[in-house]
Amino acid sequence: MGYSQQDLADLVGVTRQTIGLIEKERYNPTLLLCVKIARVLEKTLNDLFWDEKEK
Amino acid sequence: MTCFGMKKKNEFSLFNMDERNRLVAYRIIAIMYFSTITAITGIVLYRQFGLHQEIEQFEDLAIIMTVNSLFLISALLFFGAIPFQKIRIRTILLGYLVFVILGCLFTYFKYNVFQEPGLSWTEFFDKMIIVASVTGLMVVFFILMQSLGKWKADREIID
Repeated sequence: MGYSQQDLADLVGVTRQTIGLIEKERYNPTLLLCVKIARVLEKTLNDLFWDEKEK
Repeated sequence: MTCFGMKKKNEFSLFNMDERNRLVAYRIIAIMYFSTITAITGIVLYRQFGLHQEIEQFEDLAIIMTVNSLFLISALLFFGAIPFQKIRIRTILLGYLVFVILGCLFTYFKYNVFQEPGLSWTEFFDKMIIVASVTGLMVVFFILMQSLGKWKADREIID
C-alpha cells in the first residue's frame, strides 16, 4: 500500500511498535484505532481485520 | 471527521502515549497498586497481631488502607467496573452479611484470640453493634455510588 509502519503510525497517531504488534497479532487495537487505520489506508474494516480462516 | 469521536489531527497524549502504551501503563499501575495495598495490609496485620503494637503506632497506615479501599470500591461501582444490572435486595443483604461476618471474625480474633483477657459477651455484643452500624453506612454509600454511576451512564447514552 506504499506506507511504512512509521508512516502509518504517524498518520493514525500511534507508535511504530503498536502498528508492528497489530500486524503480528500481538495487540488488539480499539475499534477507534481500527477505523482510523482503515480510513488512512482507504480500506474497509473487513479488508483489514476479517480473517477468512477463522470463520 | 466526527465518527467515533475521531479528529483529523493525530491525538498524542501526555508523554506521547498511544492507546497501547496507556493500556500497558494502566496494567502495571494496577498491579503495583494491588501489591502496595497487599503489602500495607500485611504490615498492619503483623504490627497488630505479631508485634502486638498499640493502634496509635500504625493508625496512619490503617487509615490510608481504609480510605483507599473505600475509594477503590466506590470508584469501581461508580465507573461501572462491577457489572450490576439491577440493585437486588438479596445481593445487598448478602454483601452486608459478608462484611458483618468479616468484621465479627476480625473483632473476635483481635480481642479474644490475640489478647488476654478476651472480651465478655456483653462487650463483644457492643462492638458488634458498632461493626453492624458502620457496615450498614458503608453499604448504603456503595449503593449510592452505584446508582449515581448507573444514572450517569444512562444519561450519557441518551445524550
